[in-house]
Amino acid sequence: MKKIVRAAAMTALLAATSSAFAQGTTLVVNSWGGAYEKLHKQLVFEPFEKVNNVKIKVVTLYSADTLAQLRAQKANPQYDVVHFSGGQEVIAAREGLLAPIKPEELSNGKDLYPFATEGMARGEGPVHLVTAVGLLYNEKKVPRAPTSWKDLWDTAYGEHLVLTDLSNSFGLLGFLMMNQVWGGTIENTKPGLNKVGELLNRSVIINSSPEVQQNFAQNDAWLAPFAQDYAYVIRKSGQPVKFVMAKEGVPAVYFTANLVANRPHQALAKKLIDFELSPEVQAAFAREMRYSPTNTKTQLPSDVAGEVVYGDAVRSLVRFDPVAIDKVRNGLIEDWKKLIAK
Amino acid sequence: MNRLRNDLLISAPGLLLLVFGFLIPVAGILVLGVRDADGAWTSAHLVRFLTDPFYLGIGWRTIKLSLLITAICVVAGVPLAYIMARGGPRLRLWLIVCITLPLMTSVVVRTFGWMVVLGRGGLVPHALNMLGLANRNYTLMHTETAIVAGMVQVLFPFMVLSILGVVQRIDSRLEEAARVMGCSLVQSLRLVVLPLAVPGIVAGSLLVFTLSASYFITPNLLGGSRLPVLASSIYETATKTLDWQFAAAQSIILLIGVLMLLIPQAKMTRRTHG
Repeated sequence: MKKIVRAAAMTALLAATSSAFAQGTTLVVNSWGGAYEKLHKQLVFEPFEKVNNVKIKVVTLYSADTLAQLRAQKANPQYDVVHFSGGQEVIAAREGLLAPIKPEELSNGKDLYPFATEGMARGEGPVHLVTAVGLLYNEKKVPRAPTSWKDLWDTAYGEHLVLTDLSNSFGLLGFLMMNQVWGGTIENTKPGLNKVGELLNRSVIINSSPEVQQNFAQNDAWLAPFAQDYAYVIRKSGQPVKFVMAKEGVPAVYFTANLVANRPHQALAKKLIDFELSPEVQAAFAREMRYSPTNTKTQLPSDVAGEVVYGDAVRSLVRFDPVAIDKVRNGLIEDWKKLIAK
Repeated sequence: MNRLRNDLLISAPGLLLLVFGFLIPVAGILVLGVRDADGAWTSAHLVRFLTDPFYLGIGWRTIKLSLLITAICVVAGVPLAYIMARGGPRLRLWLIVCITLPLMTSVVVRTFGWMVVLGRGGLVPHALNMLGLANRNYTLMHTETAIVAGMVQVLFPFMVLSILGVVQRIDSRLEEAARVMGCSLVQSLRLVVLPLAVPGIVAGSLLVFTLSASYFITPNLLGGSRLPVLASSIYETATKTLDWQFAAAQSIILLIGVLMLLIPQAKMTRRTHG
């Protein structure tokens, strides 16, 4: 009896450990939470898992925090593919945290717009989605629809503004655009800081994307500089919010998918990045959250194409040089924190 | 000497865990604060903190709010602990359950609850509006009041349970003797119970003060980015601007500030315990 029990226990133990070994590979990636992460899982990770028989572990982490973690884990990285929305790929590539990819190694590489592969020569990953930063407004409550960045300073909008903190990519790019509108440059941010300082008493400052939706729904927000993707999400959730591209210029937010250096499974991770660049995935992203595709072969229905920056129009977007931003980022964030502190 | 060796042997696992899991990593991070990018010793980061009015303002806000939170917890906690200690076992059980039940919920969820209660249209502004004390759009969110309210709720159980343990051990015959000698209830509380409860109050205050000085989730969510405290500043410096040296320097200052409180406390309790 004892022998049988012992044999059964050994078999069970063996089976348990061997099934753990036969589990297959796991890729660790980051995504940015909220509506975007849900879509990311639904359109990219879950189909990829099924087709390639691999497990993908998604960590919810904003771009800035992801860079901090990569830096900390340099000797022993824990991520395979990281996504950045704020130009962090420039810093990460420079510090040797990313493994360079050549466009030829990706099956979709030749179909991408030039701007999407331009950073790959520096060791960054390709750009897989683009969104635009403009003005979101509650069309039922505003006295008149905004058309220009300078409309934020129009007192007709009262105390119903929402500004985004500079630690968020959208906030940073929105601020740099406002700075440019008032005569500043990336190196000289004083005009922007002074003018935005005038808005502080009339606005709520938020740190994360879902808070924009909350402010329009519950906090009586009328006008917010933010990105096109969340404008669509907020409108779908029932708020009468419209997105307008301001006439002085529309900053572009580039979402990059990057390969982390010194990890096993580099081929599989490259395949994941390639999958994110495929026309079908990009069309689905455009349909669901109005992201602009970077693959020239993406087909969009006409109503969706009208609501994203499509095709050659991407070239008209304002692209702030990420290398220049990186040089001034720390000083700018500190100046911003001192500006908004009460 | 034999006693000491035996004591050390028994406590060795705990001590080793403390040293390798806590002291060495923390020391590694703190050392970052006094070194520059090349590894040379420097006090530049500490000087940057101490000479910039913005950061000194953050430090002052942290101390001010922590003191306020501690004071509120003491004033509300002492009477409650006394009632719990002197009330019957059933009352004590129910009150302990009430106090510790919030601890079972994640602090983030509790903070979100406060955001609903204090935000526009929430319970508190609505009540103030009904009473005619505020207009319809009033919000308590993103104010220091909100931070204090949220933190008091989170840290109150620590204060009450610390004081409860001490008050329970005060012999009730001492109070009876005081009453027999002619003290009123209030006088017996003031002259007999309070002095004997001081070790518990001090321990609770220390716990609440150090916890509130190092919390960043609740002040971040309830106060917003315009009311930074030291812990949120450390978090932002480490993760958003990736300036680890300066974040470590701020951590050193926070640690020194808290340690400076430990010394008087150790001296105070040593006197009462003989």
